[in-house]
Formats: sequence, C-alpha cells, structure tokens
Amino acid sequence: MDGVNSPRSPDGMAKVQCIDVRAKPNNRPGGAQGATQFKRRVRPAETLIVWLLFAAASFAIVISAIIIWTLAQGSWEFFADPRVNLWGFLTGTRWVPNGGQPEFGVLPLLSGTVLIAGGTLLIATPLGVGAALFMSEFAGRRARSVLKPVIELLAGIPSVVYGFFALLVISPYLRTNFGASYFNALSAIIVMSVMVLPIIVSISDDAMRAVPQHLRDGSAALGATRWETATRVVMPSASSGIMASILLGLGRALGETMVVTLAAGSVAHLTLNPLHEVQPMTAYIAQVATSDIPPGVAVSAAFAVGLLLFIITYVVNMIAGGIVDRIKRGGGMANQGPTHRLWRAMRGWSTRGIYALLPSQRRARADRRRTGGRSEMSMARRYRAAKLGQATTAACLAFAVLFLATIMWSVLSEGIGGIDWRFLKGFPSSRPNLAGIYPVIMGSVYLMLLTMLFAVPLGVGAAVYLNEFARDTRGTRLLRRIIQNLAGVPSIVFGLVGLAVFVRTMGLGPSLLAGSLTLAIMVMPIIVVATEEALRGVPGLFREAALSLGATRWQAVRAHVLPNALPGILTGAVLALSRAIGETAPILFIAAVFSKVAPTGLLDGFLALPVTIFYWTRHPSVAFHDLAASTIVVLLAILLTLNAFAIIVRQRAESRRLW
Amino acid sequence: MTVPETAMNRAREETDPGMLPSQVRMPSPPGTERRDSMISIEGVSVFYGAKQAIRHVSLEVPERSVTAFIGPSGCGKSTLLRCFNRMNDEIPGCRTEGSIIWKGMDILSREVDPVPLRRKIGMVFQKPNPFPKSIHDNIAYGLRIGGMRDRSEIDALVERSLRHAALWDEVKDRMDESAMGLSGGQQQRLCIARTLAVEPEVILMDEPCSSLDPIATGKIEDLIYHLKRDYTVIIVTHNMQQAARVSGLTGFFYLGELIEFDRTKQVFEAPRQELTERYITGRFG
Repeated sequence: MDGVNSPRSPDGMAKVQCIDVRAKPNNRPGGAQGATQFKRRVRPAETLIVWLLFAAASFAIVISAIIIWTLAQGSWEFFADPRVNLWGFLTGTRWVPNGGQPEFGVLPLLSGTVLIAGGTLLIATPLGVGAALFMSEFAGRRARSVLKPVIELLAGIPSVVYGFFALLVISPYLRTNFGASYFNALSAIIVMSVMVLPIIVSISDDAMRAVPQHLRDGSAALGATRWETATRVVMPSASSGIMASILLGLGRALGETMVVTLAAGSVAHLTLNPLHEVQPMTAYIAQVATSDIPPGVAVSAAFAVGLLLFIITYVVNMIAGGIVDRIKRGGGMANQGPTHRLWRAMRGWSTRGIYALLPSQRRARADRRRTGGRSEMSMARRYRAAKLGQATTAACLAFAVLFLATIMWSVLSEGIGGIDWRFLKGFPSSRPNLAGIYPVIMGSVYLMLLTMLFAVPLGVGAAVYLNEFARDTRGTRLLRRIIQNLAGVPSIVFGLVGLAVFVRTMGLGPSLLAGSLTLAIMVMPIIVVATEEALRGVPGLFREAALSLGATRWQAVRAHVLPNALPGILTGAVLALSRAIGETAPILFIAAVFSKVAPTGLLDGFLALPVTIFYWTRHPSVAFHDLAASTIVVLLAILLTLNAFAIIVRQRAESRRLW
Repeated sequence: MTVPETAMNRAREETDPGMLPSQVRMPSPPGTERRDSMISIEGVSVFYGAKQAIRHVSLEVPERSVTAFIGPSGCGKSTLLRCFNRMNDEIPGCRTEGSIIWKGMDILSREVDPVPLRRKIGMVFQKPNPFPKSIHDNIAYGLRIGGMRDRSEIDALVERSLRHAALWDEVKDRMDESAMGLSGGQQQRLCIARTLAVEPEVILMDEPCSSLDPIATGKIEDLIYHLKRDYTVIIVTHNMQQAARVSGLTGFFYLGELIEFDRTKQVFEAPRQELTERYITGRFG
C-alpha cells in the first residue's frame, strides 16, 4: 500500500504532501487509492503569487480610470464657466487664454499638434525603418553590437535636452537662413524626428530580427537577393512590429511637451507654416504648469485640452492596436474585415481590366512584348536596386548617428567647461556665477529610485500575468489594449493627473512622493510592453518542457521563462528608467523651481535635473544657458552610466543565448 | 576533369553580367556529352570553422532522376545538399572546397552568382517554411522578385504550380487566405509549388517529410515520384523506406564521407560495404 502511494522520490517535501493527501477521507466512491496523489491540490503560495500578478495587471485599469476621472472633472469645471461653451471650444479659431476677453477656440492648438506630429513622422518613419532594416539585415554582427546601443542612447537622451538643442542650435540656424520666427515649428519637427527615430529603429529592428531564419532561407533558395528577401519577406513578416514602432513614435510625437514648449512657442497661431510660431496642445498645458498663466479658467482649460489630447491619442492607439492585432492573427494578410474585402474587390477588378491600367501593368505588358514571352528582370537591374536600397538604408543609419554626434558635441562643448566641484556641490542661485546643482542632483536620484521601486514590480508582474497566466480571452485582450494605450498617453497628461490626484486629493503636496508616484504610473506601461515582448521571445518549448517534467506554471516561469527573458526585461527597465529620470513634463507641476536644500523626507519638496534645465534654457540670460548645458552634461553622464551598465548586462546575456 | 576556366570567363564577358553561366551555350568538348546530363561532385569538402563536415566527396547525379542521400544524423548529407544551391554561403564561417560541375560550370566557383543559380536549383526545407503571406502570394513571390508583374501571367503560373504540386484542388477557393492556416503537409506541398513556380531544373529536398504524418508523407512521396520526369531531384532522408520507395540512386554517408553510392536496389539489397549493410539493417554502432 505504502509502496504504491508514496512517490519514489527521496525528496522529503513530496512525501509530506503525499501523507497530507492521504489524511483526507477519500469520499469518492470507487476512487482508486492510487489516484489520490493526482488529486488537484491547492498551492497557497502559488495562488497568492498569481493573484498578486493579476492585481499588478489590473492596476492599469485603475490608472486609466483615474486619468479619465481627473481630466473629466477638470474639464467639467472648465465648461461650467459662463465664458466657455463646448461648440466654441471645438470650432473656435482663436486661443487667447489670458487678458480681459479670453477666447478658448482649440483649433490653433490642434493644428499646432497636427503640424508638428505629422512633420515628425514624415521624416522619422522612412529614416527609422530604413536604418532598422540596414541594422537587422545588412550590418555585420560586430557593427550591430555597436550601432544598436548608440541608437538606444539617442532614446535615452531626455526630451529637455532636445528642446535645448532645438531652441539654441537649430532655431538660430533656421532664423538666419530661412527667415523663421524666433520660435518656430520646424526646429521642433527636426529635433523631434531624431527623438522619435530610436523608438522606430529599436523596435523595428527587434521585430525584423525576430523573423525566423528559415523564412530568409526559403526566400534565398528561390533566388532572391538579400535586399529582396529583406524588403519582401522580412519587412512584411515584421509588419506588426514595425507598425507598432511607428505608432509608438506617433504617440511620442503627439505627446511631446518639452521640445515644443521650448522651441515652437507659446502663442497659438492657426497656421501650417512650419517657419511660424505655433503652440501645440501639450505646450499650453506646460505653460499652465510653469505658472505663466493666471489661475482661474485658463488653468481648468488645461484639463479640457488634456482631455482632448488624451482622446486623440487614445483613438490613434485604439485604431493602431486593432491593426496590429489583426496583422498578428492573420499572419500577414488579414482574412476578414474591410481591408480584405477591398483586396478581393481589387482582384476582381483586375480581371475586368481596371487594374490593368495601372502603370506597373502597362510596363509589364511592354516587357512581355519586348521579351516575347515570360517577363524576367535582368540580374543587373535587380542588383542595382539592391545596391541603391542598401546604400539608402545605410545612409539613414549614418544620419541618425551623425545627429547624435552633433547634439553631443554642441552640448558638451558648451557645458563641460562649467562643471567643477563648486557647481556640483553648490546650491542654486539667481546669480549664474554662484549657482550649483547639488540639491538638483539629489532630487533626481531620490526621484528615480522611488519611481523604479514602484514601477518595476508592478510592470514586470503585470507582464508576467498577461503573458504566462492569463488565458486569451476578450478580457485579457482588453486589459492588454488598455496597458498599451496607457503607454501612449502623453506625459504631460500624467502631470495633470499627478497634480490633481497625488498633490491635491491625496494631500501629498508638491513632494518627492507625489513626483515619483506620477512618474511610476507613467513608466509602468513601458515596462509592461517591453517585458511582454521579452517573454514572448522565449520559445514555448521551454515552458512545455518544464511543464512536462511536472513543474507548476509558476515554477516553469520562474526557472525557465524569466531568466531567459531577463535581457529583454532589463532593456525595458532601462528605457523606462531613462524616461523617468529625464522626463520633465509630468513633474513640471510638482517639482520646485527654486530651492536651497536637498530633500530629506518623502514629503519634502524637490528639484529635478530636467526641470532645472528647462528653466535655465528658457532664461533670457546667456549665462544661464551655459548653466543649462553644464547641467545637461551631468544628467547625460548619469544616464550614460545607467545605460552602459544595462547594455553590457544585456549583451552578455545575449551572447550566451543558445537558441 | 576541370572546367575550362578561360572559356567560361570569356563566355561570361560577352553576356549580361547577371546572366547565369548555364545560359551560355558552351561548346562541349568531345566525349563530355554524357557529363552534360549529370551533376558531378568532385572532391567536395566543407568546413564549419575548423570542423570538417564533408570529407572529399565525389559522385555523379544523373539528371531527371531521384537521388537519395541517407546516413545517420550529423553525417553531413544536408551540408552537402546545401552546396548545390550555395545555401552554405548564408552560414557565417562555412568554407567549401572542390567543385560541383553542372552544365559546364563549377557551381562552387566564386564566379557563379548564387542568386540566379538558386532559381535553377530550387530547395525544399526540412520544416515547411511558407511566408506569412497569402497562399497566392507565396507562390507568386518567386515570380515577382524575378521581375514578373503581369497579373494574369502570374495567376496562370500560380495555378499551374499548385496543380503540379497536387495542391490546387485543396486551396483553389482560398487563395487569399494566409498560408499559415494550412496543415503541415499542405504547407510542405505549397513550398514545393513555390519552388516549381520559378521553373528550376534541379530540386533539392532536405528531409521534406520529417515533420509530416504518414498520409502527408505519402502524398509528398507520390509527388516526388512524378517530379522526376521533369526534374532532377536530390533528397536527403532519414527514412530508409522512403529512399527505397522514391529514389533511383542512393548514397550512404557516414561521418562526412561517402561510403557507398549505387542504384537504390543494389544499396538496399546487396550493399557492397559492411558499414552500409549494418546501417540498413539497423545494426549500427
């Protein structure tokens, strides 16, 4: 009897469990004694873990609800004002928030946003996808291992640095050569393209590298050149990832605050001329945050603008998420829905001759007449196309790297001279030659640590739940969509939420705790998305192998999935951390403008590097620009250290990867 | 027997630089007519870094027939197969010596461009690898990269290839659906159809049935049997029954060396080498 029931394992634990099971009365009629060891068993620790992971994932819903509630409440206040009406807000062509006769027509803000985000994507998409294609398909292993971190460095540069660059380097150039106004949209567009570039490059590159090698082999075996394989097999197979990268870029461009606030201007003109001053929606909210606007209806207007911005980005992300999902499920070509019907119709027309009018078809027929049979393209022509394409993609990459070098050089040359012991240990002052940044550095360091403390467990937990434990139900998909959309919410909106919820409602005041909580809810979705991507990259075989050996789901995840996904998770965490330390907009409402002391407690006020850079860059005096440059150098040094650390860890792990 | 290098180079100079040397009509020296209908492998060795995977293999594969390569795992038969269409070029650190003469040119020569070569020597892989595109576009892919743009021409060739691969009746109503939705056997026939569409002369098959069930395997084997009327098929297989069923000639490889190469009947019924006999009868080791 005992020999039948107890597992033949020397493991004491298993034995104890077995005795446990037998202690219960076997009340199933006819139940074989031997079967009791297979009886479903509750593992409290594991259940608790799964519940915690689930809670982390659901937290995204709470955040979303809070955002919507906050914005709605603020907007309610705004529209309750007698001088405001909804129709006038949506169709008005003048935005004059202050003065005796305020006017709140949002169209000038909207056109500013559309102009800048549209211009940015127009430049960044071809550059980014091209550079990614080169990196993934043509750059050698060694070149890639250098280029990828360099590109990621671009992503790690805080937006306020780009803002500094746009206002103090690009803008003067445009002013002297193209007659642009002091503040102009074009300088923001140029700089933001480079800002969005690494997002597109990094994620597109990952997506293309994830295309299985056997598809490339299949294409090569059919006599395709590497260029043809890259553009016709790899790129389409990675289309969902590429699409996602572009949309993330769009989200970033729509929500970017610091560059537009510094470079594009603070007067809302209704124009699409990129050489003029415009004020995008985010810039208005930032204007409110920096207290340039008298309190009252103009402040609650920021919530209404924030709500509109939130709705726009949400709709964009919703549509985008739908496309990406469909591409993923349909495996390239969607099998149902309107796109598919359109496609079928196209095929129908083609036989009826409409399609035959297309220029490509006319050329094809000419080809056929010339060759008198099958149309074949000469190898020379194909190789020419390949060479040209490859050179173009290489140029895209070179451009990105060059731009990075330019930014670095211009900031370093201006800022490095100002760094000395006195600057690092000193305190802010209204006299530039006495000013130091000790409390600023400490504020940022505390802020960063607290943010990661909140965000990493939440983010990784949510991702593990979604990818490893959640079944693929409608609810799960919705949850995932909510998290993805959260990642696309503009950072300045988080600022509004932080102001309303943490500072006011929870009564934390403009404190370190309020600042880090605000940043944490902002970066959590970034961590979730990156972690999920990393988890998905771990072959299912590993999980199945572990499960088949009798591991529980959590054991499989902990022992096999998480360690293998760690490099990807690290990348995500570093991206999030870089974002948190360099992000200015969300804490613009919260961080102090001026302080003589470093924070000592969670509820103390604080200074932060990017916010200080922002104020100094905006300062009319050139001496403060130099201080800003020096502070940027300090901020970049911190970021560089962090990034270098994570990149080394990740690359080491990647080189050890065996599958 | 070596290729007349100079003659080949001269011929290449006179033609389109991208043109496959095979398309150049070479004046064949007397006594080599027989060789023209062969693929002859002469002293081929393949190295992965310092490791030698193929040791000086020589054999002749007749055209319009099925030739099987058998042998235990890691004996180098797939590596040899990948020499025929230069797929080993895609593997970093892989180096090849010797020559494979086909139509008067040395396939392994630096002079030969692998890209057009692969349109004449197609390949079907171990695991079905359809592109994540529609069924139609999978077949049309090879035609389109070749520069074909005329829809009706493409459609006609797609249908012909699918019929040839005995898949047309199963997929004709869902040509626009993703190829990933097909069963494994259908996917593999799709990959064969995809290869046939670009009109190769030689088809290499690297264990094409190893991931398929017996019914799908049977269909592929039928297909291979019929393909030999028009194509030269070289198939690598683990399955000795399969080799016996489909092939006319069989080569047995062991540790990178060709142990025996003869008519399939001979190899399976009266092998000349003891090693071959031990492998075939399953007494190996």
